[in-house]
Amino acid sequence: MDLYDIIFYLFALLTLVSAYFVVTNKNIVHSAFFLLFTLFGIAGLYVLLGADFLAVVQIMVYVGGILILLLFGVMITNKITNVSIKTGTIHIIPAAIVIGLFAGALASIMVKTQWQTESAKIPFTTSYALGKSLITEYVLIFEILGILLLIALIGAASIARREEKE
Amino acid sequence: MDLTSLNNSLRLITPEIILSIFLVIVVVVDLILKSNKKVIPYLAVLGFAVTGIVVISSLDSSGFAFITASTSSKQFGMFAHDPLGGFFKLLILSVSIFIVLFTITSSEIKQIHLRSGEFYALMYGMVLGMMVLVSAVDLILIYVALELLSLSSYVLAGFTKLRDRNSEAALKYMIYGVVSSGLMLFGISIVYGLTGTTNLYLINSLLQGPQINILTLLFAVLLIMAGVGFKISAVPFHFWTPDVYEGAPITITAYLSVASKAAGFALLIRVIQIGFVSFVGSDGFWNLIPVFDWKALLVLLSVLTMTLGNLSALWQNNLKRMLAYSSIAHAGYLILALATLSTQGVVAVLIYFIFYALMNLGAFYIVMIIADRTGSEDIDDYDGLGYTSSFLGVSLIILLVSLVGLPPTAGFIGKLYLFIAVLDAEMYVVAVIAVLNTVVSLYYYLRVLKHMYLTKASDSTQSVRASGGEKIILLLLVVPTLLFGIYFQPIVDFTKSCITVLGV
Amino acid sequence: MLTEFGKIFVFILLAVAFVGIAIFAAKLIRPHRPTQEKLTTYECGENPEGTPWVQFNIRFYVVALIFLIFDVEVVLLFPWALTYQDYGLYGFLAGIIFLVVLGIGMAYEWQKGDLEWARPKPNIPYLSNLIKKNTDQTSENIIVEQTETNQTT
Repeated sequence: MDLYDIIFYLFALLTLVSAYFVVTNKNIVHSAFFLLFTLFGIAGLYVLLGADFLAVVQIMVYVGGILILLLFGVMITNKITNVSIKTGTIHIIPAAIVIGLFAGALASIMVKTQWQTESAKIPFTTSYALGKSLITEYVLIFEILGILLLIALIGAASIARREEKE
Repeated sequence: MDLTSLNNSLRLITPEIILSIFLVIVVVVDLILKSNKKVIPYLAVLGFAVTGIVVISSLDSSGFAFITASTSSKQFGMFAHDPLGGFFKLLILSVSIFIVLFTITSSEIKQIHLRSGEFYALMYGMVLGMMVLVSAVDLILIYVALELLSLSSYVLAGFTKLRDRNSEAALKYMIYGVVSSGLMLFGISIVYGLTGTTNLYLINSLLQGPQINILTLLFAVLLIMAGVGFKISAVPFHFWTPDVYEGAPITITAYLSVASKAAGFALLIRVIQIGFVSFVGSDGFWNLIPVFDWKALLVLLSVLTMTLGNLSALWQNNLKRMLAYSSIAHAGYLILALATLSTQGVVAVLIYFIFYALMNLGAFYIVMIIADRTGSEDIDDYDGLGYTSSFLGVSLIILLVSLVGLPPTAGFIGKLYLFIAVLDAEMYVVAVIAVLNTVVSLYYYLRVLKHMYLTKASDSTQSVRASGGEKIILLLLVVPTLLFGIYFQPIVDFTKSCITVLGV
Repeated sequence: MLTEFGKIFVFILLAVAFVGIAIFAAKLIRPHRPTQEKLTTYECGENPEGTPWVQFNIRFYVVALIFLIFDVEVVLLFPWALTYQDYGLYGFLAGIIFLVVLGIGMAYEWQKGDLEWARPKPNIPYLSNLIKKNTDQTSENIIVEQTETNQTT
């Protein structure tokens, strides 16, 4: 039980507890703030896996962009900040059966499968290797992502814009 | 980066490059023109036509673009340029040209004509996503292209923002689509964990190895089918279809029902044929790697889809919803053709798609013309319309008879080839179910004709006159429906030459 | 590399501990005797009426949306910037195409007015109106009124 394991369990606990509070909290602004901790916990897990670039991207894009957008969206609909969300479930028995089956299937898959593994390496900075593969192997995906971002920009701004009445 | 292979790859993706250039041109022209945007639709049609010509000219060449993975003997890329991809690209481009022509005359889009430049830019994004999706053989490229296609269609479904129904349709579509894309990504990640690669060809060779856990692969393939089934509206992933088809602008409904489904089916054909087929027998039947029982899954999906689509359409009074359920039923027939797991099945799918595109586009166009003039899509408002607008009435007769699958229309030929493939595979029970479903569909299609011809027009129904341009477009769809019912050999020959998939 | 992130982690822990200990220590020391009047919201001595949530300006949301998309673009440009020089002209072109596509997106947003903020429109006075207004009054000075109306949506 070395330091690595302790920090892993710490981040995993942070992520799971925050995710639980995101789902069950009755005030939606509190849920958004617990989502912040969940995303931060996931960034910590990325670091422990050796994906340093991905952890920084997670914090920059998810926490610094998507969460802000989420909070703005919540604040725009200002009538719902004071309304508590009904989190009661209606069909408890069927839901419990399906979730139990799903969780059991997932658990047995995660534990019993022989995953393709590589020998563990000392973690190194991944940005350079990522850049190389973006330019050589995955250049088509790189360019299509540019067009995807353009389409997302045009589409989202078109829907969110409030038109001037002529 | 090896320069010759790069040049080769760029030459193979020329249609997509041209499409991207036209997308940029459409966006820039929309920027420059402030109020008069009439030239943009014609520019869009020009772009689609030029891309279509390039696709036709390169239909016989095949090869891999963007080599990413290689075994000791062969090299595989992430983008496969082959005749099957070329067929679907041509189908998608011609459907897109028709949809742009529909949009020029649609009154829903005329109300928001200041934003119509964005409409065409989003359509270009959707077409680009579909073109890459039908040729992609790497799981990551499949996912990125699927997201490009889905994102544009979410926005297009709620584009007009004029009624609550539009925004509701876009919201339902988006939530459902994002969840199914997420499930598909989870399935892709499990497949990557099992095999260590994302290229479908390499997955094929690795699945034949000894240590693949069957249960894990079952789980992963079911999750991937959640994503694919969403696009093709298979039951139980079909719940978005009636609401979205009813709420979206009718040109987008027509587009989603044909083009988006075609892209989803191309994806399914590729995943099965490249990922799970070990060799193709001389009688045309595929021999699958025995890790996953595709036949059982596809037969189950097709029976559920056909039955639910046809039975639900019986109760619908809104024509758009009825056509939505009927397109679910047609997806069921198509999955049945694919469930035969043979080259005859793929030929049947392709032939059925061409005719289904013609019939469905025509039916939606007539509903659009009537909705533009009378403002209603309810079946009771079609009373007596057959006598006041004889041109529309006769066209609708031909199209609805073709949708049922009666001779001498193209729909009959499509169903004929489908049943030939199914009986060739000795799946008799499912064939009987399909015939019963066709009989059920007779009722709800002919109910429209009964309202149009056998019910007296009430005082409030207006007569609908189609303008000259609309008549020409409708003739372009109706005449081939009749013609291909009688003289269909060139279509059959064309599709038979298009079914070769690269490397199988 | 993990030790570098470990240093950042210790820094974060210390920052959280700093704030936590400060608030906790203050909570222990200060008196806690709430009355009804002390618990109402403070609004500069006036009595608060209604809810503190005001109608949100939608420009915030649109600007945050555009920021998010360009943030993702920057994230994708970081690895490209590290390695493109090893690939000569081809590497440069791969990134330039990406940048041009998103530059067109930027020009698009600019032209459509998504980057505009609400501006106050000055109410420029017309002399004839003022003379009509002031003929009733006995004052000799013509008071020039310049009102700025803030246009918020």
